[in-house]
Amino acid sequence: MPAVIVCPACDLAHRRTPEPVRGRTQCARCRAPLQRPHTGSVDAAIAVALSACVLLFLSNAYPLVVMHVNGSSRHTTLIGAALGLYRQHYATLAALVILTTVIAPMLQVAALLYVLIPLRHRRRAPGLNAVLRILTRMRLWSFIEVFMLGSLVALVRLAKFSDIVPGIALWSCALLMLALASLSSMTSPGQLWRWIEQSGE
Amino acid sequence: MRTQATGRSLGLLLCLDCHSIVRDAKLPHSRCPRCDARLHVRKPHSLAVTTWLVIAAAVLYVPANVLPVMDTHTIFDDENDTIMSGVLVLLHSGSWPIAVLVFIASIVVPLLKILVLAVLLYSVWRRSPRRRLQRSGLFRMVEFIGRWSMLDIYAISLLATLVQVRSFASIIVGWGAWAFGAVVVLTLVAARTFDERLLWDDA
Repeated sequence: MPAVIVCPACDLAHRRTPEPVRGRTQCARCRAPLQRPHTGSVDAAIAVALSACVLLFLSNAYPLVVMHVNGSSRHTTLIGAALGLYRQHYATLAALVILTTVIAPMLQVAALLYVLIPLRHRRRAPGLNAVLRILTRMRLWSFIEVFMLGSLVALVRLAKFSDIVPGIALWSCALLMLALASLSSMTSPGQLWRWIEQSGE
Repeated sequence: MRTQATGRSLGLLLCLDCHSIVRDAKLPHSRCPRCDARLHVRKPHSLAVTTWLVIAAAVLYVPANVLPVMDTHTIFDDENDTIMSGVLVLLHSGSWPIAVLVFIASIVVPLLKILVLAVLLYSVWRRSPRRRLQRSGLFRMVEFIGRWSMLDIYAISLLATLVQVRSFASIIVGWGAWAFGAVVVLTLVAARTFDERLLWDDA
């Protein structure tokens, strides 16, 4: 372990101190967070990732919203919402919606499980670096929580002229949002690499 | 003021991917020994790339707000909604908390991001020594709120998919939505190409 840590936000060098038990240490100059306590275990992270897997399945397999209007009913799924944009010839927007609500969360969870399950048996997954790189990139584009709020806005606007029934996927999306948030905080890059280095000893 | 020891002054490089610290990196073609990411002292061409992204976002901000994002055809009337008129519709239909939410996410946040990034770029370019801590805080805020402006895109995609009831009502997406999506993506990428360490470099 190097005796120095460098602030990622302002490059100030700090003498390394033991990780805090609770809360976080921050940079003396720019107040960016530097160190977080070592909490959680590989097993706990795998458990949350697996429940995120189930929630991802539910969110994509079941309808988000069912709308009853004039005696007929319409419904849409998560991917259906993006396909609606595609059908109206907005392929780039459709791609953006699919990336941020389906592909990024799926790859994020898949990449984590791929890395974490071998770690449990103190092994490194093949192609670890590439997979972790995908994970960091995908995390930046996984916007389920924003989608949740966006669908709330859509529901309010629709409720004006039709009967709206929230589908199973809407509830599982809400839970998925919580699962992904806790998963991200449990598996920060620093924490992942700490586990990986411990497994190599 | 006493010059403080930084990673750069000590010859230590921080890998932005895995946060390991690398000594004596052979730049410019060096890779992190732990995770194999490319190493740079600062993000390459950060100022130029971010400036162009912010300019592009500022230009597209105009059509994003002027062009309609949705055309609603019903048996009673046709309605062209821009982002702002969408907020007003929500306000008149009595759901003011949602109206405020959409106003903040779709109008305030993108504008704030463009303005803050422009101010930060200008201050780095001028090597301004003032209010570094506040500028650093502004950048972190922009990074944090950035994704929330996607909200309207999701709402529009759901509305346009669901409201396709033949002869009763249909919603057609407008080019304003495309421009708006582009603004959101450009500002998100701009916040990532901007190297916040530039704010502190000659401290």
